[in-house]
Amino acid sequence: MTHNSGTPRIVALGGHEFRSSPPERAIVRHLLELTGVENPRVCLLPTASGDPQASISDFYSVLDRFECLPTHVSLFRLEREWVDLRAHLLEQDLVYAAGGSMLNLIAIWRAHGLAEIMHDVWEAGVLLAGQSAGAMCWFEHGITSSAGQPRAAEGLGLLPGTLCVHYARDPGRRILLLHEIEGGLPAGYGIDDGAGLLFEGTKPVEAFAGSRGARVVRVESSEEGAHEMVLRPISLRHELAWSADPALAEMRQHRRAKAGIGARRRR
Amino acid sequence: MERGNPLLDNYVLGLTGKVRPRVCFLPTASGDADHYVVRFYQEFAKERAGASHLTLFRRDRAILSVREHLLSQDLIYVGGGSLVSLIGVWKAHGIDEIMREAWEAGVVLCGLSAGALCWFTDSVTAYYGTPERVDGMGFLPWSFTAHYDTEPERRDEFHRLLCGGMRPGYAADDGAALHFRGLALHRVVSSRPLAGTSSLRCGPHGVLEERIEAQYLGEAKAQERAVGTHPAPGNPVAGGGPIAAPALA
Repeated sequence: MTHNSGTPRIVALGGHEFRSSPPERAIVRHLLELTGVENPRVCLLPTASGDPQASISDFYSVLDRFECLPTHVSLFRLEREWVDLRAHLLEQDLVYAAGGSMLNLIAIWRAHGLAEIMHDVWEAGVLLAGQSAGAMCWFEHGITSSAGQPRAAEGLGLLPGTLCVHYARDPGRRILLLHEIEGGLPAGYGIDDGAGLLFEGTKPVEAFAGSRGARVVRVESSEEGAHEMVLRPISLRHELAWSADPALAEMRQHRRAKAGIGARRRR
Repeated sequence: MERGNPLLDNYVLGLTGKVRPRVCFLPTASGDADHYVVRFYQEFAKERAGASHLTLFRRDRAILSVREHLLSQDLIYVGGGSLVSLIGVWKAHGIDEIMREAWEAGVVLCGLSAGALCWFTDSVTAYYGTPERVDGMGFLPWSFTAHYDTEPERRDEFHRLLCGGMRPGYAADDGAALHFRGLALHRVVSSRPLAGTSSLRCGPHGVLEERIEAQYLGEAKAQERAVGTHPAPGNPVAGGGPIAAPALA
């Protein structure tokens, strides 16, 4: 059972980490708001990096500051941390796939039957999100460094086209994306660290940026080769100001209380 | 890599016939868990081995030809964890084919728990809680299960599967190891006095289990060192899982 509209939705992030810096937190806040429910259930899948404890604890330490119910599933520790994968994922409002090796992510998910489960979870209307390998996995193709040098690899194909992450930071990937799209790989997107793109069904509906200058670029093939078209992202900066620093926020709240303005206290 | 018990590690090192063999650790089944990699380097210290490890999760940070690296080893050591993930990742990177090449070239292959199950055709793993049969890489054309003495459910399921048509095979206790030369079972050794292995098949009236006693390495250290001065091509050692290996991730 899901708590949302039921439209299949996916958010692809070009690069994001669970850190307490304002741009990273703004993205978390935006994802939680996109679920459209209060106190959303959020599940982390850190498969692509081999379920390292450090990433899992980073996730909890950031999510702990928001109104939500975070869990994680470690496919490498199922023996000790048993969970019914299908049931658990279907009852989430947001499933977040972390980054790492796209090749390994896809191989492991397929081996554990998660490719089918993810399809059903998506269709049931659970918001799927992910960064880097965890974003490319939802597309037909991604540009990954999982085998050393950047190369194209197959994803689950819930979304059509090709995705390239870390677009500004990793020129090698960008060059390969342009080359591959010229060479016949389906059109797609390049997304910078700190930016994201929301899809409803298979249609892109919103580009957003948690940090200044982060871009979402549409890449199509044209007669002169691959053509890049920068989309104008919604800035999440209003949220940044709001949650920039807990101490600052508290001070503001205090000031507003003194001035008699009713402010809802954040837990 | 049994804590405080180097007997099986010494045994596999001895099989290479080298004074300071090149040993590569593959921690894939644990998701390349850092603490496991650290433990490998502690156990295979530089005085006695030229140790390296292969990460398949951060290949962008490792500049080497995986094939050349693996083929240049004397011993390949595969860690425990999730067999399903191990096989999935290896196939995605073509490691299964490289391993076969290494095996045929005479590199000693060894591993524990998931790292032992992977060499067989039918592997019985308990990774999802209830034991089940999973396809291994099929170098050794038998069925196999580890932790035979410590997990009764695995034993029951192994017997049930054998009578349901699964190919005959072997089961190993924690601390016991099967040493194959090519496809022939060469020796059974153990790092614990009571650990052993079984050969199992389905007979007309149920499972026929023949206990194969292991040679305890603790009393015969001097002899072990002499073994394998001329390693035969294809030398996998399938460890029964000293320590509960899947708990390593």
